[in-house]
Amino acid sequence: MSDVSLASLAAMYQETLLAQYRAPHNRRELVNATHTASRKNPLCGDALQVAVRFDADVIADAAFSGHGCSIATASASMMTDVLAGRTRSQALALVDDVDAMLTQATPTPHLPIGLDALRAVAPFPARHGCATMPWLALRDALHSRP
Amino acid sequence: MTVLSALVPRADFPLLAANPSLHYLDSAATSQKPRAVLDAIVNFYETANANPHRGAYALSGAATDAYHAARETIARFLGVADSDCLIFTRGTTESVNLVASAWGTANVHAGDEIVVSAIEHHANFVTWQQLAKRTGATLRIVELTPHQEIDLDHLRQVVGAKTKLVAITHVSNAVGAITPLDTVVEIVRAQSNALLFIDGAQGAPHLPVAFDSMGADFYAFSGHKMLGPMGIGGLIGKRALLDAMPPFLFGGDMMEWVHDLDSTWNVLPHKFEAGTPNAADAIGLAAAVRYLQALDMTMVRAHEVALLEVTETRLRDLPGCTVYGPPPSKRSGVISFSLDDVHPHDLATILDQHDVCVRAGHHCAQPLMRRLGVSATARASFYVYSEQSDVDALCTGLVAAQSMFAGA
Repeated sequence: MSDVSLASLAAMYQETLLAQYRAPHNRRELVNATHTASRKNPLCGDALQVAVRFDADVIADAAFSGHGCSIATASASMMTDVLAGRTRSQALALVDDVDAMLTQATPTPHLPIGLDALRAVAPFPARHGCATMPWLALRDALHSRP
Repeated sequence: MTVLSALVPRADFPLLAANPSLHYLDSAATSQKPRAVLDAIVNFYETANANPHRGAYALSGAATDAYHAARETIARFLGVADSDCLIFTRGTTESVNLVASAWGTANVHAGDEIVVSAIEHHANFVTWQQLAKRTGATLRIVELTPHQEIDLDHLRQVVGAKTKLVAITHVSNAVGAITPLDTVVEIVRAQSNALLFIDGAQGAPHLPVAFDSMGADFYAFSGHKMLGPMGIGGLIGKRALLDAMPPFLFGGDMMEWVHDLDSTWNVLPHKFEAGTPNAADAIGLAAAVRYLQALDMTMVRAHEVALLEVTETRLRDLPGCTVYGPPPSKRSGVISFSLDDVHPHDLATILDQHDVCVRAGHHCAQPLMRRLGVSATARASFYVYSEQSDVDALCTGLVAAQSMFAGA
């Protein structure tokens, strides 16, 4: 019944993604965070909190906490790795890019190389919500009043 | 080693026949439908379609007769002699809401207590929680044993003079635990004047049900979990209670006389069936019931226990596998489990690639998940068409998932 192959499954659970799940980056409390938000997936009970710290107009640091499946955790790990140095609008644009990469066939060549492993989630619509959960939390955080 | 074959030909089920490699292990969510059910629905629309109870012409009469015959068939199957006491609803959820709204609003007041258990499906939990909130009553929650069975000693402590209603599931959808209804009835009757509402969504499909001798006041069920179509189910209640209850929904067919400023109500079952009834699906459900009757529910039960025992033995051999719930002899065809290092959501994706359909999540039982200390479990559930190959595919998929996530 599945319309994706075992090969694409292996691709999704490739080493990069699994490695980031096993040892996620930036899974810590963020001291002096300027923006925070959390997201829950009511379907599976997963919950992630995302925190960023702005220094002037650019993000200086980003971190996350909570628990999630491999896709949500790895996505949060990769996301927090690529945020430093981005402005608020650049970070918001990145949220849209990740969403477009997952849900639309449109090419997203400008996606940071650090997010490449997320492309393997695209053929699994049932897991898009897992991958986007930390990104939606980031969007909520950026829309929150510091 | 004996190989367990399905209780019925998979060819009876068009979806399974069209997908021979599919291992459908999510029957607790919804069952597959036999050809006989699909044919009955199409046949109604092709040969008897008219609005029941309305037309003074032969075709409407045929529709009415077919609809009532369906009610008779289903009532007999569930041990109900007076078929007027079987109200068709969209399913268990609507049946719970019917009682909470019609009976609850009229009978539950501040200071009263409503008792539920911690293992309930949200439909049989939130509905009462909100009734309590609305009326100022107190919701009392019966806790569970270490094997996720309803703690009957705690039930004894909780039920008392203030209890107006006890709402308990017949079978847990999340872990499959079967509630010993005889004991529950005994406790409730001995200690209170409370009504007893049984959520039979997972009971009616898997166990023999004899409502008239059960001792409960209400029993709710869903057709789509027992080989029938989606969108039809029922509420069975004692006649005196149903007669005394105000209507739930207002509309056509449920009224007797409509005066300018007030109205009177039709008799049972019509009082609770406002609007054009879902006759086609009721007829489909009756076909499902006939299919189950031909198998005999004790055989259905025995088949599921055999599958559970095989699966449980193999799952317990997997390192890091936790199986929830009581032993197979005290469960319906549900096995809820988790693997160390593999999130249930990841597990469901990997199993899907092996053509194995399982449920991963909280199974609409968040109060239970909190008590288990997990956010989700994986759940495989069996039915009459399940067989050894489904168990084998599940176990192969689980081993693949473990090796993929080794060391995570």
